[in-house]
Amino acid sequence: MTENLDRRRLLTNAVVGSAALAGATALGSLAPEAAFAAPGEQAVEPGAPDPNFAEGRITGISAGMLFVTGSDLALWRIRITGGTSIWKLRPTTFDQVAVGDGLYARGLRLPDGTLAADSVWVNIVNVHAHIAAIGRNLLHLDHKGKRIVGHLVPGTSAARYNNTPAVSDMSMLRVGKHVQVIGAWVPDTNEVEIATVYAAA
Amino acid sequence: MAALTGTMSWFCCGNSWGPCGTAGHGACGTCNSGSYQHAWPNASAACFNITRPDTCGISMTRRGCGFRHYTTNRCNGKRIGTTIADCGPQTDLWCGERACCGSVCGTNRIVDLTPAAYSQIASLSSGLQPCSVDSV
Repeated sequence: MTENLDRRRLLTNAVVGSAALAGATALGSLAPEAAFAAPGEQAVEPGAPDPNFAEGRITGISAGMLFVTGSDLALWRIRITGGTSIWKLRPTTFDQVAVGDGLYARGLRLPDGTLAADSVWVNIVNVHAHIAAIGRNLLHLDHKGKRIVGHLVPGTSAARYNNTPAVSDMSMLRVGKHVQVIGAWVPDTNEVEIATVYAAA
Repeated sequence: MAALTGTMSWFCCGNSWGPCGTAGHGACGTCNSGSYQHAWPNASAACFNITRPDTCGISMTRRGCGFRHYTTNRCNGKRIGTTIADCGPQTDLWCGERACCGSVCGTNRIVDLTPAAYSQIASLSSGLQPCSVDSV
């Protein structure tokens, strides 16, 4: 908790005093793999909502702030700092974020009610599905009885076959097989761009 | 329960956007992506008959809705306490699947965390990580 308070003070001061926050601080990097909770005390009870986590769709973008309406209709103001990591199909930059995008964000709630984001995952989906058909740079996925069109993005999409290193070769994917897909939803469609396909060998 | 080792992923539930929009609140009726919750393959007899972790050689204690587990990301040692809110993952579809970071590996899918919980101990973009699960 002490560290959380220190991080909150740091982020508050950084936001108030500067438009940008360095990516590494005296408390360590704010990059995604380093920004998660420190070992030790868990501030939020198991089963309870996490006040430092937001989800929803972006309704506005202004001066480093994302205005987000949660799926439960909660309103969020998510502050992007120089230390915020942003993922949208791949690690990316703030200018790639658009109104209408969905997101999950993790950070720290500041006294003014904003969430100073450590990490923002834009349009990220984790789909468990069966392959219904395979086309050129396309996977047609059966997801809970509904069809999702997965686009393979050259240079980005990769497959992992039972803990093999991620490879661009999709030739081992088979119709009828189950897969897990990490990807980026194309807003207001049934389409996703595929980052990683997990498949049994 | 001794710590169970395997792999963890994440899933959405409750009100949501995109393909998650039809996810619902899970088998327990309480699941929300923003809460510290998880899916467990042996949350009930009916659940077990779907997920069948035994076919992968896993003996998994039956625990009902609201039961508290602690999941450790074996890549970084970070740990999160969550309660059961859904049935899953479907372990039998992935028998023998491994996820590793360096020399640390987990085999078989044993738990799915909500995005709020998973993102507390790993990046959502990582998708699958070796983990251990215990009840204390």
